[in-house]
Amino acid sequence: MSGDNTTIFTSYDRNPKLYDELYDPDGKVTKVYKKLFKLYGKHSIADYYELNNKAKASFFNQGITFRVYSEEKTNEKIFPFDLFPRIIGAAEWEHIESGVKQRCLALNKFLWDLYHDREILRDGVVPLELVTTSENYLDQMIGVDPPGGIYTHISGTDIIRHNDGKFYVLEDNIRCPSGVSYVLSNRTALKRALFGVFNHYNAHTVTNYAENLLELLETVKPAGVDIPTTVVLTPGMYNSAFYEHSYLAKTMGVELVEGRDLFVENDFVYMKTIAGPEKVDIIYRRIDDAFLDPLEFRKDSSLGVPGLFAAYKKGNVTIANAPGTGVADDKAVYTYMPDIIRYYLDEEPILNNVKTYHCSRKDELEYVLEHIRELVVKPVDEAGGYGISIGNTLTDEQVEQVRKDLRASPRKYVAQPILSLSVHPTYIEESQSFEQRHIDLRTFTVMGPEKSFVLKGGLTRVALRKGNLIVNSSQGGGSKDTWVLKK
Amino acid sequence: MAQLYTIRYTAENHYDHPVVEASWQFLIVPQENETQSLVRIDFSNSRNARWEFSQNGFGFITIRVRNRHELSDISFEAAFELIKEEVNPFAFDLSEVPPYNPENLQDMGFRLEHQMFLKPTPLTRLPEDTGCFRFDHGRNCLENLADLNTWVYKALKYTPGLTGVDTPLTEVLEIRQGVCQDFSHLFIGIARAHGIPARYVSGYLHQGMGYAGDAQMHAWAEALVPGLGWCGFDPTNNLMAASDHIKVAHGRDYADCAPIKGVVFGKGDNRSNHQVQVTSQQ
Repeated sequence: MSGDNTTIFTSYDRNPKLYDELYDPDGKVTKVYKKLFKLYGKHSIADYYELNNKAKASFFNQGITFRVYSEEKTNEKIFPFDLFPRIIGAAEWEHIESGVKQRCLALNKFLWDLYHDREILRDGVVPLELVTTSENYLDQMIGVDPPGGIYTHISGTDIIRHNDGKFYVLEDNIRCPSGVSYVLSNRTALKRALFGVFNHYNAHTVTNYAENLLELLETVKPAGVDIPTTVVLTPGMYNSAFYEHSYLAKTMGVELVEGRDLFVENDFVYMKTIAGPEKVDIIYRRIDDAFLDPLEFRKDSSLGVPGLFAAYKKGNVTIANAPGTGVADDKAVYTYMPDIIRYYLDEEPILNNVKTYHCSRKDELEYVLEHIRELVVKPVDEAGGYGISIGNTLTDEQVEQVRKDLRASPRKYVAQPILSLSVHPTYIEESQSFEQRHIDLRTFTVMGPEKSFVLKGGLTRVALRKGNLIVNSSQGGGSKDTWVLKK
Repeated sequence: MAQLYTIRYTAENHYDHPVVEASWQFLIVPQENETQSLVRIDFSNSRNARWEFSQNGFGFITIRVRNRHELSDISFEAAFELIKEEVNPFAFDLSEVPPYNPENLQDMGFRLEHQMFLKPTPLTRLPEDTGCFRFDHGRNCLENLADLNTWVYKALKYTPGLTGVDTPLTEVLEIRQGVCQDFSHLFIGIARAHGIPARYVSGYLHQGMGYAGDAQMHAWAEALVPGLGWCGFDPTNNLMAASDHIKVAHGRDYADCAPIKGVVFGKGDNRSNHQVQVTSQQ
């Protein structure tokens, strides 16, 4: 221990142009961080170096890894974890939580409408083409009533704080969003490394996620089922999020299965067990729609279950999230979210949306083509930060390439102004010091017909390369334990 | 006068390497509708594998078979008896059909209701600037569709073996040859491009009339004629679908209507053969 109160922060280079979560605009440490700042200040950099290594080893030993997809061979990596937690005060969290709930509710109503009366399209609030040209709109779901009326059982909402200090939603992830297991393992790791700090704060627990997930999934069990059997359906151990699939199954106390472990008979789904077939009522699937059932969707899918969709349509099994949900998880749909919220809930959006240009619209495409350097151009249907071009980082040739891509398939892209994500002190191994790094926040919401649950915490992702704005783990980001304080 | 049809469908599958677990789905049961009623359905397979009736995602009856024992060949046999009412495709009042007006087809309610059969699919997407058939604004929808039927009939030469079930229209239009799927996809693609909802129909064609499409399942198209409803067009034979056309299912394109789909766990190649026979008694 070092006696010097300011050791680890003396060299902290605070760029006043960036919104630093630790400091208020006058450069003073904010109220929620004050105690932590003091506590961490008691440690020396050498202490940190050691603790950081311990934490890394703990992640390795637990097998908490993920895979990065690229053209070269894929590698297992540990998800870099940062020992300095992110703290969200009670009032601020209330704002976030109510905003996230509002979006999830509106999205679920939107999906019901898209597969039933389609009033929002009739009324011209959202253009018809958005649905008819989306590869994720499943015609097979038209008129189907998912159990309990729920499409978006599990949502991951990506939120950032801009340098105006306000929260903006970047994405609503409703196609098997991942990351919640890191929230839980980050908490565990921080408790192991620095248990003492928790005594000074009254933070909400995050370990209640699995029980809430299971409870809410069971509220949408198929009709006529008394005590439902739930499973987690994984594509298998080569999937980037396999650790999470196994973690969720384990913590919910349910079986982790692959497609080949299930079969359909008389339009009911069964799991093969050593004691014989066991009926399955609720499937938390972590495979995409296209792979669910090779007899209905992609015929080359070996991940799915032949006949699963027929069983679903008959109401004999619940699939979470519902098939066809992906149509609302489209960056082009995102841009209509404020209107969607007003349309279904008759409320003003609580959280801000980022101004978005639709390249499918001629005038907006022209604007984007002329202002590429000031914009982020994103493909509408890619997840995980793949295919994003950040205008001010591109070479002249790259700008030309983006222009070419945009002209070739404008419907595939949207563009947004380059936002300045807030920054947070983060321990950087190379320099062995704390530096500012951009962060975001993914919240996790579980929704049932009667109530919804937002995990009081979330995944704060950190862009580890200096100045980098993309925080996805697949793009080399890390994460922080995230504390939500009690009132 | 109504006819009693007997339809026999057989399929034989051979696998180079034995497969352990396999599922098949057949979309071969004639649809029950205004002009078709089923009298009898028989189904069997050489391995006594478990089978059951189910439905596909669009509500058409399927037969699903699941086998749990090692096999390297399996054959399936189905027989249907069906009463088909006489269909006169020309029994309508032409004055009911409004003139072709693309603006009327832009109505939001209409497009919403039929979006499934208006949007291009990978198999019905037309290449740009092919000089394909264009609707004549001086003629009504039905006349235009009949002209389109004849145009497709003449545009392609019926040649089995050159195209497959997933050949896109760009390729079909390059070689100008194909089989009933290709004729139907081309008809559908052009109708949709003109704002007319069109769907792919899979079924049986009564043999013995010299029509193309015998001994296999047949395909044609249905187009929504404003004022009349869905009408069947068989561009492979330059006909309106009538008493000889026994419908099984419809979909957005072939992919929704494949008569047999198989999911097998195993390596190596497989060969599949199917045959269809349609006989009638009055």
